[in-house]
Amino acid sequence: MIRIHNVLVSPGEGGVYGERMLDGYRVWDPYRSKLAALYTVGTGIELAPAMRVLYLGAANGTTVSHVADYVDTVYAVEFAPRPMQDLLEVARRRRNIVPIMADAGKPEEYAHFMEPVDLVYQDVAQPDQVSIAERNLPFLLPGGWLVLMLKTRSVDVRRDPEDVLAEARDALARRLEVVEVCWLDPYHLDHAAIVCRDRRCAEVK
Amino acid sequence: MQHYWFGDVDVEGCRIASRNPEDLARRVASLHTDMDSFEPIDWRTAQACGLVGDRGEYLRMLREVCTISARQKIAASYQGKDVELLQMVRMLDELDDVINLLHERAVEWYQVSTPSFSRKYRSLPARKMIGVIRKNSGGGLRRVADEIDRLAGLRSGLMREVSDRADEVLPNCSALIGGLVAARLASRAGGLEALAKMPGSTIQVLGSERALFSHLRSGSPSPKHGIIFQHRRVHNAPKEVRGRVARVLAGKLGIAARIDYYRGAADPEFIAGAQARIDEAGMME
Repeated sequence: MIRIHNVLVSPGEGGVYGERMLDGYRVWDPYRSKLAALYTVGTGIELAPAMRVLYLGAANGTTVSHVADYVDTVYAVEFAPRPMQDLLEVARRRRNIVPIMADAGKPEEYAHFMEPVDLVYQDVAQPDQVSIAERNLPFLLPGGWLVLMLKTRSVDVRRDPEDVLAEARDALARRLEVVEVCWLDPYHLDHAAIVCRDRRCAEVK
Repeated sequence: MQHYWFGDVDVEGCRIASRNPEDLARRVASLHTDMDSFEPIDWRTAQACGLVGDRGEYLRMLREVCTISARQKIAASYQGKDVELLQMVRMLDELDDVINLLHERAVEWYQVSTPSFSRKYRSLPARKMIGVIRKNSGGGLRRVADEIDRLAGLRSGLMREVSDRADEVLPNCSALIGGLVAARLASRAGGLEALAKMPGSTIQVLGSERALFSHLRSGSPSPKHGIIFQHRRVHNAPKEVRGRVARVLAGKLGIAARIDYYRGAADPEFIAGAQARIDEAGMME
């Protein structure tokens, strides 16, 4: 990841959402983006130029635009019409974003668009976040990554966030190798990042 | 056989459905993939089929199809009769907040500019109070009061429009609790479809989320009513039966919302029966 004086940035055309520029790079604010928060408080995974990414819960395309600055192609899935209008505008100016209007929990609705991907990134406000991630694993290449931004309040507001996280981690560990788990505070309260890797070996290229 | 956005592919080869993005967008609207036998696309298949020359071209075409398809879905989602009603009622509630704030502030200003004035022993509703300010002051305060008066006029007009539109879009709900409150319920639920899928117990406490979650978390008393409290049948009911009226009314509203959503027309027989049942709930033993 690119950092200038310890500030996380991404290379690309600015002005997407009024982000600050630093030496011609776009500042990637951990308070606005959970992925940036993960790179600030934890390790995360290195985004590489050849990567193809499935982004579930693309919303207004803020974080999507930063991810697209780093990787080859982003398949951005969003369900709600209002944010989708913004996402289409972001995708119009960034040629490596494929905007898909569909429900991330129903991969059968958008599978016909999908290439295999190196990374599934998920940030959706739904109670069944782990099962949504599992349903999208058929798109993952052997040895690929899953980064799940767990919104513990969306799973169940009444339960202790720590319990919700432990349950999600255990469920994911059945299918994948959990590499990193961390809370995103102080940037995002009651949100945790879970980084997993597919256990099948990556193909030698 | 795999059905992809650009065509069908199997071991024998592939068949391109169309080269026209508009046609392909129509095609993907009806595609439904079986995830058990699904294999992700290798873009080189599209190249081998002769659809595209390189990856850049593949992505360009895919993006075009996805964008057209997304625009169609967005347009379809705004087609619902209730979409504009929701915006209207939210604007109305926002106007109320703004007018109240401005009114409070204008009265404060008027009081310091008129030391002898007091609201005690005079019943001055907001609209009349603004009239008093307009008559007795000048300069900035006068102009502010004029604007508040105009906003109040705008609000009344919008309220009538909301009510009329709700009678049309939510005929059965409106018959039970009035167009305005029915529209507010639909707004809080997130639309008529969402409202029609809600159980009566949720409709009963829509708008009292703070009390509800405080109840779920720490066991404080559960709320008896949310937005439906605004209807006179609930807030005029004697305290002992108010919860019961709210519950029965909410149950009937759940049915009314379903008739509104799935049938879209008033059902006089249902309305008469529901009114009688709600009135009965309001009677003391």
